[in-house]
Parts: sequence; structure tokens; C-alpha cells
Amino acid sequence: MLQDYLVPKTIDQALSHLQNNNGKARIIAGGTDLLLDLKEGKKEAGILVDITRIPGLKVITMENGVVRIGSAATHNQVAKSDIIREKALVLAQAARSVGSLQIRNSGTVVGNVLNAQPAADTAVALTALGAVAEILSPAKKEYLPVEELYAGLGKSTLDSTSQLLTMVQFPALLKNQGSAFERLEQRKALALPMLNVAVVVSLSGEQFEWARIVMAPVGTKPVRATESEAILKGARATSELIEKAAGAAIAQANPRDSALRGSREYRLEVLPVLVKRALESAVAQAKGNF
Amino acid sequence: MKEYDVIGKNVRRLDAAEKATGTATFSTDFSLPGMLHGKVLRSPYPHAKIVSIDTAEAEKLPGVKAVATYQNTPREIFNTSATMAFTVPALEPVLDQYIFDNIVRYVGDEVAAVAAVSEKVAEAALELIKVEYEELPAIFDPLEAMEPGAPDIHPNCSAGKNIPGEIVKIPFGDVDKGFVESDVVFEGRFKLPVQKQAQLETQAAVAQVGADGKITVWSTTQTPHPSRSILAKVFGVPESKVRVLNPPYVGGGFGVRIGLSAKAEPIAVALAKLAGKPVKVVYSREDDFIASDTRHGGYVSIKLGSKKDGTFHAMELKGTLNTGAYCSFGCETPGVMGAMGLAVYRVPNQSYYGHSVYTNTSPAGAMRGFGNPQAMFAIESAVDMMAEKLGMDPLELRLKNIMQVGDPWCLPYPCQSTGLAECIEKGAGSIGWDNRNSLNQPGAKKLRGIGAGVGTHVSNAWPFCVDYDNAYLAVQQDGSIHLAAGVPDIGTGTSTTLPQLAAEALGVGLGEVSLTFGDTATTPFDIGSHASRTCYAAGTAVVAAANDARRQVLEYAGDFLNVPPERLDIKGSVIYITGQELGEQCAGTGVCQTGAGTSVCETGEKRNSVSLRDLAYHAHLRNKQFIGVGRIVPGNAPPWQAHFAEVEVDTETGQVKVLKVAAAHDVGKAINPCIVEGQIEGGVLMGVGYATSEEITYDAKGRQLHNSLHKYMLPTAEDAPEIDAIVVEASDPTGPFGAKGVGETGLVPTAGAIANAVYNATGIRFYEIPLTEEKVYRALKQRV
Amino acid sequence: MSVKTLSFILNGENTVVEVALSDMLVDVLREKLLLTGTKKGCGKGECGACTVIMNGEAVNSCMVPALKAEGAIVETIEGIGRPDKLHPLQESFMDQGAIQCGFCTPGMIMSAKALLDKNLTPNREDIREAVSGNICRCTGYVKIEKAVSVAAKQIRENQ
Ligand SMILES: Cc1cc2nc3c(=O)[nH]c(=O)nc-3n(C[C@@H](O)[C@@H](O)[C@H](O)COP(=O)(O)OP(=O)(O)OC[C@H]3O[C@@H](n4cnc5c(N)ncnc54)[C@H](O)[C@@H]3O)c2cc1C
Ligand code: FES
Ligand code: FES
Repeated sequence: MLQDYLVPKTIDQALSHLQNNNGKARIIAGGTDLLLDLKEGKKEAGILVDITRIPGLKVITMENGVVRIGSAATHNQVAKSDIIREKALVLAQAARSVGSLQIRNSGTVVGNVLNAQPAADTAVALTALGAVAEILSPAKKEYLPVEELYAGLGKSTLDSTSQLLTMVQFPALLKNQGSAFERLEQRKALALPMLNVAVVVSLSGEQFEWARIVMAPVGTKPVRATESEAILKGARATSELIEKAAGAAIAQANPRDSALRGSREYRLEVLPVLVKRALESAVAQAKGNF
Repeated sequence: MKEYDVIGKNVRRLDAAEKATGTATFSTDFSLPGMLHGKVLRSPYPHAKIVSIDTAEAEKLPGVKAVATYQNTPREIFNTSATMAFTVPALEPVLDQYIFDNIVRYVGDEVAAVAAVSEKVAEAALELIKVEYEELPAIFDPLEAMEPGAPDIHPNCSAGKNIPGEIVKIPFGDVDKGFVESDVVFEGRFKLPVQKQAQLETQAAVAQVGADGKITVWSTTQTPHPSRSILAKVFGVPESKVRVLNPPYVGGGFGVRIGLSAKAEPIAVALAKLAGKPVKVVYSREDDFIASDTRHGGYVSIKLGSKKDGTFHAMELKGTLNTGAYCSFGCETPGVMGAMGLAVYRVPNQSYYGHSVYTNTSPAGAMRGFGNPQAMFAIESAVDMMAEKLGMDPLELRLKNIMQVGDPWCLPYPCQSTGLAECIEKGAGSIGWDNRNSLNQPGAKKLRGIGAGVGTHVSNAWPFCVDYDNAYLAVQQDGSIHLAAGVPDIGTGTSTTLPQLAAEALGVGLGEVSLTFGDTATTPFDIGSHASRTCYAAGTAVVAAANDARRQVLEYAGDFLNVPPERLDIKGSVIYITGQELGEQCAGTGVCQTGAGTSVCETGEKRNSVSLRDLAYHAHLRNKQFIGVGRIVPGNAPPWQAHFAEVEVDTETGQVKVLKVAAAHDVGKAINPCIVEGQIEGGVLMGVGYATSEEITYDAKGRQLHNSLHKYMLPTAEDAPEIDAIVVEASDPTGPFGAKGVGETGLVPTAGAIANAVYNATGIRFYEIPLTEEKVYRALKQRV
Repeated sequence: MSVKTLSFILNGENTVVEVALSDMLVDVLREKLLLTGTKKGCGKGECGACTVIMNGEAVNSCMVPALKAEGAIVETIEGIGRPDKLHPLQESFMDQGAIQCGFCTPGMIMSAKALLDKNLTPNREDIREAVSGNICRCTGYVKIEKAVSVAAKQIRENQ
């Protein structure tokens, strides 16, 4: 049963609300996950602490080659942001694919990550970007890679009744780098992904310096296709190579049978197609930037 | 062509301003002083006996005013669908439902309901009701449900195991001989998904029971009058003491509330009686999904025989439909499926055999097209395959065999109009039919294809249901027009087209007419908005009422102007002598106002015209009003459609994208072309969903997996293909100004056209829809 | 404490209303303020019938805790035109036949308004994105798309 709804104006206020209520107060951002979870009894909260009016948390910035996204920034803000579109296209594409425009206007990228669904679109993209989260507790400030925020299916390592995630940050992509997001979905809006894949590549001439490939839902959290990445590292970016790397991705994928979003078998078979397509566009982008 | 003043024009809908400003009232918006809110407890089991039910704790919760179960509500057996009120004799309606029963037959079946001061309290109370169930064996597939060992879902199925009502058999010619005489025969069985109406306003009702025992229900029903009959029977009161009305707008229907709005009305009334206060019951979206009718899924088998030259010679159609836990329209749907399936092509030897089967799934009933889209997916796929066997162009084959005016067919009314050939020609032009075999580059991973499908439908419910209609039209004392018709407006534009028809028939401007509709207390009997009948059947009644009033007006005006009434006509609300120039009109002051009416004006001039306004007032002062009554039994008429789809198949993922649908429809006469296009466009998109993505499935415990708008894949704006709605007008002598039905026709041939386009793209024939990515991918893989 | 006071600017007017903590904005609009133009088709963010504009953005009011609207500027279908001067979108929806049952209409118009408030030259993609969360089961969206582009043109020409 809800007892209060608080709208702090500063980060300190938000933190002290959490502290003063000893685990009874919980952070709410857009509420697009939390409200349903509360209604269905999956989560409980006596007091909600709404962080979306804290001015510093709504911003998206780039400084010294580092992109920062505040935890109150919405999917739509991210999808439309010039910074994100130029420096991390994969994330703009992922954010654009979430739910509907209305959901994107309420839901936040950080909330998406913290809800810890394996195929949370922006979490998949942020993992590929190597994003790191800044987490404040009353006593300390710490930095954790986004993938380490997953504790299990639908469970975050972060305790939203005592900790506040303030922003995620990652290096802006350079001119020789490219990124792309591919998504298999049953319709163009209001559909959770059957599969989604995010890749970031770095080229040196015709050669891959490195690539990061993340896929979902093929495990309890976004999964790195490290074997595919290894195939690409240092090799020439040919379509044969991309095909090979894409095929290798299934070795690390362990999707479930879903009555709603495709069988394990189907998803395993189609996954390489998405990886291939994502790699192809990321490579094209990296080359196009020269 | 005759020039019309009001019809055939894109006038703004008369309900548009209210709807655009948010002032239009829907059932879910409606409230009464002291009103309580009702919520329903639903079965978690697909088949179970209620051993005990304890409501004591729920009743004690503060704010709870009544709890209803099978123990304290009427035990009158009924059918939520309007079939109960309009089954044609000698057939008998299947009655198989109570408001609450002590056996539950699907997950979602009603167990109890609570009325409380708020929805939240009512919901909390539901959790306090203790029910002990004894699970019974359950069955979900219609073929399995007919096996001897399957559980009996209802007793007394005389036609066969778990078969409600009677088996529909339509014999025509000699089908066995026909196949013997055929040169080429195609045979196949097709599987159909469960589609959901997903109208935007969920089922809802507000019930009030007066101190005098009169029952008033505001609800989302598509059929106020038949719903009144059902409620009167269930609650044991005379029909004259029950009023059912829309408030007046209804947020879509598509068949889901032909009859009651699932059980919203009887539950609201039962709770209102127990609580002594008005009660509002609004279904949640999940309630709406699991506990109101769906489209029938099931199986259709077809055998088609043709002569070498492409002349169809024999066709056999069989339908086995899953009607779920209750019959609803489970008897009529297979009937329409067969009759429409046999009516498209001129085949001298045909037969149909079809029925529904009970299973422990959500009930299936009426949904746009009513069995016809199911039949046409199979038939239009078969016709394409036959064309291939014969080495003919699929369109040429169709053109050779489509029904022509006067051809004999299985229906008990004649085919008096068809614009299908024109539809085929125009649709083919729009889609670029001639390019269909040169759309793809060799080696392309995304393949394009074009396919076609055709179909017909009814323009009202007869002979599948009782169908007659009434309207009255009263010329008011100032010459304006009040029209009353019992039919609702569920979004299809009735409340605009009926006034258009009245205005045209009478000779007045649309602005003069106001309509009362969708209310049993203030309108004459009508069987409701369904069967693509509203404009056609209710429209015929309205035109009859207008003609009746017009006759009275002209007679009176004849006396007034001293000419025989045959010489008079009405245009723009002025009655004038035909062939003469309009004289000076009375301004509405002077003679008529004083009651000294005369055919000579104050100015001394002889009048050769009089305004309806003056005439009506003149009559009023002499104790007379012009009131027209329309009481009609409509004929029936076939609307025709040809759909052309262009698709793109991603062969690496199996995804089918519909790029364009050209939908050419013979509607007889488009009374309001913009409304007609809207019906077609909406129908087409629903057909695209039916063909490619929409389906409700169940888990092993009988629970719906696709029970929300997020899980159920109906198309969003971003999924909609280009839709070219093409209107063709082959006037039918039985319809008002030649009009035929259109409401349901938009999705009749769509799935067939899309499946044929996918075949054209990939060379793979699908015997099952929807064409989901996984299904298509699997088939592409298997071929390699 | 389960009741709180909500103050916000609703359709241009300062509005103060008592709300339950668990109330969503849609409930406050429809049940407390009797603005039933905003519809409820799912209560879970899946249909868009409840769309209102909050601080310039289209949101599902069924997914907005009422108290999130504290101090916010909220527009609903009732506030965007006057009887004698409707919003161009209202006019174009009527003219283009974009309204059938009308249940999706208020939400649809609010989504479209949020778009046109920012972008008066939307292309087809922009329009489709703007109404992607507004399910319409009646129209096939054809005339809705048209109505939005006609209104955009209308507004441009009147500027
Ligand atoms: C109809 C619909 C469609 C959707 N479609 C998609 C989709 O296609 N793809 C997809 O990925 N997702 C989808 N989602 C889910 C998506 O909207 C959410 O995951 C959203 O991004 C969560 O953000 P939020 O701000 O709403 O989080 P909230 O619901 O406010 O919070 C989520 C969780 O994170 C915690 N939290 C939030 N912010 C912080 C913080 N800064 N510090 C500490 N804890 C915090 C909360 O306590 C809560 O536990 C959909 C949701 C709906 C309702
Ligand atoms: S009612 Fe809010 S999105 Fe459906
Ligand atoms: S007009 Fe009926 S849902 Fe859009």
C-alpha cells in the first residue's frame, strides 16, 4: 500500500528520502515497469521517490569524448539526441525501438537497464557500448559496468530502495568506429523483441581493430558473443568473415522456447542473420565516416 | 446517372464534432448518482465443478454492497448472442449459458461478481471469495473434442459429440457426379487461427433497476432490441419493462457484442438488483480478451473440380469450427461460411457440410465477416492452385467463373447485381498485376510477390437470422425532421448515413434531420448493427418512412396549392409544382402563421410552391402532423470484393511484410463515399492482421497466451501497408438507392490475396494463417 | 496518508484536486475532474486511448501516477479547441473521415498535437511514429495519417 509519493528536486534530497525510510522507499523514474510490477505484486514500495524532476538527471552530454546520459533521460530523448545519433547510433536505434512513442516519452534508458529484462533494448545497446553506471549510496559513489547490473532474470544488483543510479557513461564512438542495432519483432511498435542484437566495431583501414557484439534474449542478461568478436579481431572486414563471425554467435546463445516470441530453434537459426546485418551496417558506417 | 443532393457526397459525419472534442459519451464514460462498480471473479480452470463458494469475507469488506453467484441470481438459461432473439424457425436457438453456473467451462468463465463503491474495493473483494473447484477433464482442439472419449462440455448434443445445434448442409447439383466429370481436381485442408475483435472500448454496461421494477441498461451492445429480449427473459420481466440503449456511442464492435456485451449487461443488472443501486460493469482489457467472443478458428477443407478449359464443375467445402465453451453464434457462423463460400463462383455441382464444436476455450462468436474470411482463405488459395494446375492466369480463371447476374446459386434470393469483374480490373490496375512475375532480381534475399483474392458477402442477416426493420420519421412543426431508428452506431457511420438517406428521399437538407438511435424505448424494433446490414436494411426502412411522410406532405400540399399531388416534388425543403419555376416562397410569416393558409400569397400572387416549414406549421394549426412509418422486410444483395496484395518476404528471417493492398469493392451505391472507404480501409488492415500476425493461442492449461493488446499482434500505424480503397457501384434494385452492404467486406478476401502473394514471391503454399515469421521461415527451410 | 493534494495546470487553468496515492492521472481526469474525453482502453500503456500531453510530450495517462503531474502543464482533448474555434486537427479529423467509433480519437488527436507542436512539416514516418502507440481498430490509419498532414499544412498556412 502506497503511503507517499515524493518528488525531490536534488540528488541529495532523493538519497535522504531513501535513507530516511529504511528500505520502504523506492526510486521511480518513468514508472512504465514499476507501476505494473506494483500492481501485480511483483514489487513492493510504501513510498515512491520520483527522480524525474531533478534537473541534472535529465541531461545528455558529451565531454572529452565521454557521453553521459542522466538517469531521468527518456528513451525518446535518447533516440532524438544529436549526440547519441552521431556518437552512438546503436543506442539511438535501440531507444527508438522501445514500445511506442508514449512509452518512450515516459520510460527511461536507465530504468530499462535496472528492470533487468534480458532483452531490454537499450541495455543491449549500452552493453555493446561498454557503458558504465554511476551509482550513489548515502556513503559512497561507485562505478559498475552495465552488464554487472544484472543479478538474474528481472533482478538488478542495484537496490533501488537505497541506491540511486545517476547516469551511464561510455566513450563516444570515433570516426573509425560504427555501431548498429538489429531487432526481430512481430510488429513495428508495441512489440518486445524476439531477438535483438547490438554491435560496435572499430576499424583500422579494412581491418577490424575490435568488435563488441551483444545479443538477447539468449540468456538471463544481454550476452556478449565473445567468440564472434574473437574471429573479427584483427581480421579483414570481408563479407565472408562477417558471415563466419555471425554464425559463431549461436555458440554462446541459449534462448528459451517462447510461446509468444518464437521457439529456441527458430531464434538460434535467425540470430546469425541479425548479427550479420548489424555488423554490415556498423562496418559501412565506420567506413563511411572516413 | 441520377444526380443526388445529399447521398453520394462526403458530408462530415454528424457525430464527428462530439467525437473530435471528447464530448461524445460512451458506456465507459457513463455514470449515475449513487452508482456502484462491479467486478467479476473468473475461473482459473478450463473445466471444473464448483464444489463450494464462500462469499462471507468479501461481503464484510467495507464498501462492498453485493456479491452475486449462481446461488443468488436467476437460473434462466440463455445465449449471450442475439441468436437467442432471432433464430429463424424451424431452427431452435442453442441455449447453454447462465449468468453464473456451478460448472465452469473455460479459463475466464464467470464464477461470481462484486458490486462495491469503487473498482478498487470490488477487486479487493474478489480476492476474498473462497472457491473450491473440482477439476474436470478439458479439451482444446475441435477435432479432438469430437472423439468418442472426449469430455462432454454440454449435455444434449444431438448432432454429434460436442456439436451444438445442427449440422449445416447445403446441397447444390450433384457434387459426386461433378467430380467424376471434372478433368482436374484440387483438394486441401486449411487451418484457421482464433482472431480477436479488439474493439477499442471494452465490454461495458450500466444497469439501473427502478423502484417499479423497470430495468434500464446503458451498454456497448450492437443490438439494443435483441439484447432487451434476452434480458427480459433472463430476469423474467416483460420486454416492455426493459430498456436497453447506447449512451449513444459505442467504441467499436466488429461482432463482439451482437447480443449482450459478453455478460456485462446481465451481471450489472443482477448486481443492481441485489444492491438496490445502479451498477457499472466495465471489462478490463484482459476480461475482454479472455471472456468475450472471438472469431472462430478451426479447419476448412476444400475440393475443387474443373474442366480442362478452366470451367469450374464441382466444389465441396467442409468446415469444422471451434466455438469454445459456449455456442454463441456457433450455429450461424458455419452457415454463413458455407453459403458465402459457395456463392462466389458459378459451379453447377456443390456441397457444403459444416458445424461448430465445443471446446474448453473462450467462446467464439461473431466477428466481422462471420465465417466468410475463413472460407475465402481456403477457396482463394485453392483457386490459385487450380489456375496453376490449368496453366492459366489466376485472374483469367476467376473472371471465367465468377457469378453473374441471374446465375443460379445456393442462396434463396437472386443475384441481381455484380461489379466483381470491374473490381478485378481496377484492383489489378492499381497493384500492377502484369508485373507480378518480374518483381525479383535473381538471388535476392527479399522476395516480392503479388496475389489476388475475391469474395462476396451479405447485405443483411436474412436468411441466416430473422431480419426486418422499422423506422419512423416525423416532420416537426417547423418543418425539420426527426428520425428514429433502432439500430446503433458502432462507428460505422449509421448516424450519418441514415439521415442522409432520409434527407435525400424526402427532399430536405441534411441539416434538417436529427436521428434518435440505439434505444429500445424511443425507437421501433430493429435487429441491430451487424451483417453489413445497417445502411442496407435499416436504410431501407428509413427510406420507406421518408417516402411515407413525403406522400402525406405532397397530398396536403396538393390541397394547399390546388394541384394534384403527382405534380409536386420536394427539393431543399420546398414543395413545388414540377415543370414550373419556383414562385416566391412564403417567408414563414403572414398567412400561414395566422392559420389562414391559402394558395394565394398576401401579395395576391398565386403560389406555385410552399416551404415544408410553412406547410408543416399550417398543418399543425389544423391538428395534423406528417409522420412516416417504414416497416420493411429487406431482400438481400451481394456486395463484391477483389483484393490485391503486394508482399515482401525476408527469406532470411521469414518475415512477411505487406507493402500494399488494393481493395476494390462493389458497394452498390456509396451513400457516403468517405465512410465507405473508411470501412474498407479498416477491414483491410484487420485482414492483413488476420493473414500475417493476429492469433490467440492457449497454453496446456487452457490459458490464453495472447490476452492483451501488447501480446496480441494487431497492426499498429507503423505496420499498416498502403491501402488503396476503390469503390465500384453496381447498383442493386433491392438496396436504398442501390446500396449494398460494406461493413464486413473489407477483410473477406484479404488473407487469400496475401497468401497468394506469398506464393507468388516464394513458391511456397501455406495451408495455415497467420503467416508468422517462424512459420514462413520453417517452410522456406524445408524447401531448401 | 493515502490522499494528497495535486496542483497542476490543466488545459490552461490552475487545478487543485485531492487524489489517492494510487490514482493514475487518467483516473483523476475521468473520475475526479469528469473530463471523460480521455479514454481508457487497457490501463497498461498498450493502446494510447488515454494519451494526454504533459509538459509538451504525449504520454499514456494510465501510466502516469497522478502525483507525477504535480506542477505540470497537462493538456487534454477538452482543452485544445473552443466550440467556435476548434483545433485544426479536430477540423481535419472531421473533414478527412479519420473518425469512426471515435474511441481512439481523443488520444490520437493528442498524440498528433504533440507532434505538430514541435514539427509542422512531418513526413509519413514522423506521423506514424507519433501515433504508433495509439491503436485504432476501425480506420486502418489511412485517413488518420492524412488528417494529420492536412492539419499540419493548415497550421503552416495560417501562420
Ligand atoms: C506497453 C509497453 C511496451 C514496452 N516495450 C518495450 C520494448 O519494446 N523494449 C524494452 O526494452 N522495454 C519495453 N518496455 C519496458 C520499458 O518501458 C521499461 O523498461 C522502461 O525503460 C523502464 O524505465 P522507467 O523509467 O519507466 O522505469 P521505472 O518503471 O520507473 O523503474 C524501473 C525499475 O528501476 C528502478 N529505477 C529506475 N530508475 C532508477 C534509478 N535512477 N536509480 C535506482 N533505481 C531506479 C525502479 O525502482 C524500478 O525497479 C515496455 C513497457 C510497456 C509498458
Ligand atoms: S488506457 Fe492507457 S494506454 Fe491504454
Ligand atoms: S475510430 Fe474506432 S478505434 Fe479508432
